[in-house]
This record gives sequence, structure tokens and C-alpha cells, in this order.
Amino acid sequence: MDSVPHPRKEPRFPGPLTAENIETIFRDCADFSTRSIILHGDLDRSVQLCWIEGMVRGERMNDYVLRPLAQDPMLASLPLHEAYKIMAQGALYTGGVRLCTSLDEGAKSMVEGSCLVFFPGQERALSISVATEEKRSVGEPENEPALKGARDSFVESLRTNTSLVRRRLRAPELRVKEHIVGRQSLTPVDVVYLDGIADGHTVELIEARLDEMDIDGIEATGNLEEYLVDRLNTPFPLLPFTQRPDRFCAGLLEGRVGILADGLPLGYLAPGTLDQFFKTGQDRAFHWMVATALNLIRYFCALVTLLLPGLYIAMVTFHPEAIPPKLALSIVAAKQQVPFSTIFEVLIMLLSFEVLQEAGLRLPGPIGSTVSILGGLVVGSAAVEAHIVSPAVLIAVAIAGVAGYTQPSQDFAGALRLWRFLLAILASLGGLFGLTAGCVGLLWHLSGLESFEVPYLSFHNLIRPPLPDMKLRDGAVNSRNRRNQK
Amino acid sequence: MKKRLLIIILSLLALSGCGSGTLPQAREMGDMALLRTMGVDAGEDGFLTVTVSAGGEEGLVLSAQQPSLSAACLAMQGQSDRYVFYGYVDQLLVGESLAKLGIDGVLRYFAQDVELGLNTRLWMVQNAGAGAALEGGQEADSRLETLRADSLMGVALTTRTAGEVLSDLLEEGSAYVPALDGDLRETGYAVFKGDRLAGCLDRELSRGLELLAGAATADVLQFDLNGGKVVVRMSGAKSGFTLVDHTIHISCEVEAKIAESDRELSREELEELRRQLEQREEARILDALEQLQEWNADCVGICRRTGMKRPRGWAEQRENWETVFPLLTAEAQVQAKLEGGVL
Repeated sequence: MDSVPHPRKEPRFPGPLTAENIETIFRDCADFSTRSIILHGDLDRSVQLCWIEGMVRGERMNDYVLRPLAQDPMLASLPLHEAYKIMAQGALYTGGVRLCTSLDEGAKSMVEGSCLVFFPGQERALSISVATEEKRSVGEPENEPALKGARDSFVESLRTNTSLVRRRLRAPELRVKEHIVGRQSLTPVDVVYLDGIADGHTVELIEARLDEMDIDGIEATGNLEEYLVDRLNTPFPLLPFTQRPDRFCAGLLEGRVGILADGLPLGYLAPGTLDQFFKTGQDRAFHWMVATALNLIRYFCALVTLLLPGLYIAMVTFHPEAIPPKLALSIVAAKQQVPFSTIFEVLIMLLSFEVLQEAGLRLPGPIGSTVSILGGLVVGSAAVEAHIVSPAVLIAVAIAGVAGYTQPSQDFAGALRLWRFLLAILASLGGLFGLTAGCVGLLWHLSGLESFEVPYLSFHNLIRPPLPDMKLRDGAVNSRNRRNQK
Repeated sequence: MKKRLLIIILSLLALSGCGSGTLPQAREMGDMALLRTMGVDAGEDGFLTVTVSAGGEEGLVLSAQQPSLSAACLAMQGQSDRYVFYGYVDQLLVGESLAKLGIDGVLRYFAQDVELGLNTRLWMVQNAGAGAALEGGQEADSRLETLRADSLMGVALTTRTAGEVLSDLLEEGSAYVPALDGDLRETGYAVFKGDRLAGCLDRELSRGLELLAGAATADVLQFDLNGGKVVVRMSGAKSGFTLVDHTIHISCEVEAKIAESDRELSREELEELRRQLEQREEARILDALEQLQEWNADCVGICRRTGMKRPRGWAEQRENWETVFPLLTAEAQVQAKLEGGVL
């Protein structure tokens, strides 16, 4: 696999860098603009400008490029090659001036919001950055609300995101390495890490995988995740992400390697280990005892959401003697008029729960909540009253569902939901024996997972100890510098 | 690594005893009749009369007379429109008729059956049939549940599980079981020698047996003290045995609390009360032991408890215990610890 050359065509556009070739590349593009400018009124001296409307900011074009070209007498008096040199050195009022010598470079810089300046007879151009900065402003993280802590969130602009990180981690050792991913999207993807703390091998792995990626574009998170992770035949997420810059920075401080992509308002942290999916950004904001208790509750809830439906099927259908007598009597009394088997009841209720959740998610907010109320409360209670499902099944499935919502990572909760179905089916085949076999299978599956060559089950801390006692970084197991305080 | 894991899991599967077709069988709880209490009586011609009662509001009572317990249980499956499930039977009543013939078979059945278990509480119904006592259905179940709960709080006779009784019969050769009358009211303890009923102890002797066993339940004693009435509530007891030259020395520490008194007691009166209490308890202990010796039923484990103090002679003592035990003389020394009484 490594020996196969990358299929990306290099160079993308052969030929010399001229205004005519650039026009050819952007033919049939309504937003492509070109204009010839006479330098300081000298009809014998002109330059050709090319840019893409919408990608450049009009005021900057006028003030920083067009005005000096048209009005600066020095540009008209000097020989052309001299004028060219002083333009690159500051005659044009912009910080981003770059010399492009190939068609690929020129086309790419135009797409990024630069204006190309061509001098007649020369097969090169000056790329002057006048990009527009229209973007969504930094808002609150909707998926990870903060009760106590910073309220900013990543946005779709990569540079804004890197600036949010750098404002928190002012260490010059913060490295931001850029890779271009996507044949058509040419999306910049940044690998962010703290040099000296992060594991160099993980950085190399991520960079190698980014370079190997051959896709059309990164229009969804999956386009990045599924190409970066070690395995795809698992529902468990191997690459945790966060919307919160503070949590992202905490990950970098732990020794993890961050990945930011243009257009994605989130940051990934690698390697992803199981304990990462149980942590929240608030863990270090609360008192350590409270944070530890909440962490343990989340682990307990993960077991509840995973095992409760299967355990109910196993107990009620195969091992009724294990149920306390009074509970058994009430289950029997509730079950007598229900026409369906317990297995069918539980599986149908689990499916209904997923359907209701999906329906609520796909509809606009107010309608979604109406569907939830109608489905969950009205239909649920009506089904119980009509003896279509027994109350115990409804309670068991509802508890399992609600317990799943305690998971900070919805990707992880989704994996638990899938395994919940599997364990319920196994329990309906072999009772506790089937359920136990399923749990062994799950453990086996998890123990075989790796994220960037780090075992998925490499726990560091099940509890959150007092921060002064956390002498070692809670992140990458291979960090070169594990001690974070004296 | 995965191959190793696979081998380990397959080995565990083999050890589990489960093979193809032997996975647990699925049954719907809605189609089950959960039985809570079983009564067994001796029928005619060596038959057993088995009566079972389900808890809950329905008060289902089934009964069958068959040559064996398993046949009777199977016969009752056909009497109900639902699957009769014995996994919740946690009360076993044995009729006096069966107790006189022997309860070993019943206990062994409970030990061996897949659904039944030895943690079932065992009672003997005195002067009546167990089946008749269960005719009340739900009332009988709740009455037995109450007795069990009261026993846990120490306000009713000490309950025994089928496992404890079977273990006592195997190790000590005798055992005691709480006895009830036909209306499921406590009458005392039934003492079994071998697996057959040796006799029943009345309430007073039963208290003596509890003191010997070190499992005293709450008891109220009334004393006349200088013309006044004092009521003492027993709250605990601890006993020990020493065997010296054919004499059993019984030491017993009892805890009691003055529950009612028509006046404040002086220190002298308290001493007098303690003396009377100790005399009363000594008499109870000796009376109960005398009765047990008469039946040659060491159901409180005197042989084992004294033997543990003299391990060298234990084997010999156990071998001769049947002949020695009825001939032993006994001395009891009770130390009472009184609480309350002085304002």
C-alpha cells in the first residue's frame, strides 16, 4: 500500500504561469475577473490582474493594490523588473505578497483569496493576499454547554480556530503543520501539537495518513475520521472531538495531537482512548469529588444502557428465579394481559425508542419536541393502558435510553446503542449465558482496538484526583514529557 | 493473542456444562403461576399429599396426592392453566403425620430439585395437616411471611431453613424446627431425632432451647418484687458448654431490659430481680436439656461445641454420644445483664 504512488495529478495544470493560461483554467467561471491596469498613466506600461469575486475583499483590492499601481509614480519610472521587485518588497500595501512561478501555485492562491499581478512577458506572477474574512463569529458550543468555564467554540474558519488555540497556549512550542486534503476541495487540515510533549510517532502517523488521503473533498466529518482511524469495522469512535477550544487545549497539554480542518467547527484529539469518551470539559471545573462521582455515574450509566434490556430479557424469560419475589409477582401481574413475548416487546420498544429519537432529531425544534411528547408519553402510556406492552418493559427501555444520554460523546453512545441491540438479541437466545457471551465478545472487541497504535482500553484515571496530585499527564501513553508539575 | 483468548473461552464454555440444545429454556413470566408455599403431609398407603399455594391476589392453591413428591409436583402442573413454577417456594410446611414418618426424603428433594432450594424456611404444623393450613391461600402466605420477618427482628421463634435442618440432621443426628398450629400460630419447637419427630417443646421449654442454642428471641418475663410487679424484656443470650466428668457445665449470659415497673427500683431490688431472673433462666435451660436428654436428641450441638474445646477426644466422644448424652448431669450458670430500672 505504501509503495503505490498517490494518484493526485502533479502538476495539476502544466504549462507556464501566464494570465492567458489562468484565464483558460478559470474559463466558464462567472466569478473569475481580470483587469489590465496602466501604471501611473503610462500607456506603455501595464500589468494584468486576475482574481475571483467573492473570495477577495473589494476595499482591500482597491486600496492596497489598484490605488498604488495606478498612482505610484515610482512604479512608472523604474524598469519593469525593478518595479516588479519593489512591489514584492512593499510598494503594495499588504502583508501577504508571494511570488508564484507555476500555474498550480497561481490558481491555488487565487482560490484562497489572492489577486495575481502579471507583468507582460514574464512567466510568473505576484500573489497579493486580499482575501475576504467573512465567517461565522465565535459563538457558544451548543453540543458541549459550559456551566462553569469558557463559552467560545470552534468555527468553520481554520485560522480562527488556530488563533483560538494559540491564545490559550502561548508557548512558542505549539506547532501547526498544514496539509492539503481533497482532490477538489483542497481543504487545509492542520496538525496541532505541543513540541516536546506530544508523542512524535503519533504526529508522524497522522501526517502520513493525511498525506495518503485521496478523496474529493472534506464536506463531512466522516471524510476525515474514517480515513484517519486504525479500524473501520467497529462502531466505537476512535477519534474524539470537541467543539470547545479549552478542552482541545487541555488535550494538547495532556500530550495528545490535535487535528483542525477548514470548514469543520470542531477539533479532533488523537489518540482516542476509551476514558476520553467519558470525560467532559467540565471535569476540571468541578470539585474533584463531584467530578469523580459524576465520572463514575457515567460509567455506571454506560453499563445500564448497554446491559439493562438484555438483562431484563434474560431474567424475565430464562431466569425468573433470580428476580426478587415481590418484583416477580408484579411483573407477572402486569404481563398476563400482554399478547407479545418479552423478547418481542423489548426489541420492539428499543426500536421504537430509536425511531422516536430519529424523528425528533430530523424535525425542527418545536415539532421535534412535540413528536417526543406524543411518542414517548402519549403513545407509551396508551400502549401500557391497552396492555400492548407491559410497564416493566417500558420502564427498563426508558431507563436504558435515558442512561445513554448521560454519555458526553454521542458517537460513543451510538456505539453502545448498537451493542445494546446485539446483547438483547443474544440474551433472547441464551439468557444470562448469551448475555455473558456477548459481554465477553464486547470486551474482546474493545481489547483489540487501537487508536494511532495506542490500545483503546489504556485507561489512565477512572477517577479525577485533585489536580495538585495529578503529577503526570493524563493523555498519550507515549508522551515524551509525562510530568506536568513538580 | 486472539487464538489464546478463543481457546480460553472455548474451555470455559466446556466447563460451563452447556452444550448445544442445553441452553436455558425460555418461558414467559406472564404464563407462570409463581408458587410461594408448599405443604407436605403423609397420605394413605405411603402416598404424599402435596399442597402448594401461590402468592399475590389470586390465592391459587393446588393439591395432589401421589406416591412421591416429584410425581405430585408433576401432577399439579396439569391442574393449572399456567406453568407452575416452584422457583419461588420459600416456605415449606411439614404436617405432623409426615414428621413422624420422616422428613429426610422431602429435604433431599429440595436439595436436588432444579427449581426448589435449601434456603426454603421449614415449619412443622402440629396437630393438623400442612395442606389444611394452606387452604387460606394468600392469607397463609402473608402469615408465614410475617412470621419470617418477625423472626428476623427477634420477636418470633427462630426460623430454620431446610438446608440448616438437613445439615443438623446429618451432622448432629437431630434438629429443631419451629412448630405452628393449624391456624399458623406459634406453638414452640418440634425436635427431630434422626429424621423423625421426637416431640414438641411447649413455649416455656422452647425458650430454654433458644437459650441453649444461644439464639434467644424476645421474651417478656414478669416478677413479683416486694409486692410490686416488674416486667423484664429479654433481648439477647449467649451460651457455652463445657463437659467435665460426665457433667455438662452450661454458662449463659442473658441481656434483659426492664420494660415495666410500678416504681423506681433500689439497688437491692435490682440485685434481687437479677437473681430471680437468673434462677428462672437456669430452670428453663435445665428443663429443656432434660427433655432433650429424654429424647436423646442433641439438636443444639452440645457434642460438637464441647468437642471443639477438646479436639483430642472429640472423635471418641462423638462415637459414644448416643449412649452418653442421656446420662449426663447438667449444671447451668446464668449471668444476667439488666438495663434500665434506675431513674
